[in-house]
Amino acid sequence: MNDSDLDDLFMTAQRQSAPVSSDLMARVMADADAFMPQPVGVTPAEAPRVSLWSAILEALGGAGALAGLSTAMLAGVWIGFAQPGAVSTVTDVLWSNDATYETVDVLPAFDDFLTEG
Amino acid sequence: MPFDTASDVPDDALLVLYANGDGSAARELAARHLPRVLGYAARMLGGDRAEAEDVAQEAMLRLWRIAPDWRPGEAKVSTWLYRVVTNLCTDRLRGAKRRRAVGLDDAPEVEDSAKGVEAELVENDRMVALNAALDTLPDRQRQAVVLRHIEGFSNPEIAEVMDIGVEAVESLTARGKRALAAALAGRRAELGYEEGS
Repeated sequence: MNDSDLDDLFMTAQRQSAPVSSDLMARVMADADAFMPQPVGVTPAEAPRVSLWSAILEALGGAGALAGLSTAMLAGVWIGFAQPGAVSTVTDVLWSNDATYETVDVLPAFDDFLTEG
Repeated sequence: MPFDTASDVPDDALLVLYANGDGSAARELAARHLPRVLGYAARMLGGDRAEAEDVAQEAMLRLWRIAPDWRPGEAKVSTWLYRVVTNLCTDRLRGAKRRRAVGLDDAPEVEDSAKGVEAELVENDRMVALNAALDTLPDRQRQAVVLRHIEGFSNPEIAEVMDIGVEAVESLTARGKRALAAALAGRRAELGYEEGS
């Protein structure tokens, strides 16, 4: 048997393919299904449940804003009940009345000219 | 993935698709590699179909398991599979030295059915003779010869499959081929080569 005979044999063998029985293919595919990794997809995180009160709080601007708001409300209630006598007591403190004004005579009086005659 | 477009997708990409949960990618990989792997295992195991099927299934199973950790571009899927099959066959041969003669029924079917019946019979006879002669070779020589001359791998690829150097591959294939020629020497006429075909 020479080399070309052997090569011929090899070529014949190359043309052959082992027939895969449907049973073997089914077994292999069953393995593939069993070992298939679960897809690691990006699943959206479950949105936290928003209650009505927290929605209102959020709309107002959060806890800080609510603190300011409640302070202002209490101040309003207090002012309403207390009925301060005169607002001027406050304004006097802020803008005191003791400012002195200097008068500037932009037009000298005619009197001096009259006496000269 | 539509099945008819999968044929252009490289093995690496199919494996990544499978690792991402695409079952049709696994089907395409099996369709590509299972027949070759099965044929190789059958040759390595002296034509024992049942055992070859077990080896092929085990090799594919290992491919499914390694899919998530597969690093594309590092190794070829085919080379990797052949390496696994080679090791599995070596283990089985080591465990039970099976050396039974290959019967005509065990010969793989010839694909080309357009040939005449006589030509088909001659071809079958030749394959039976080739497989029987291959079976007389030492395991490593048989692996090298089959990978080189029947599976069509290059020497560096065989070196990778068998985990040896390229020079060792060359030596094994050369010695294997010589031994094959010697084993078939007396059957030249019987196999229809008397006319120098």
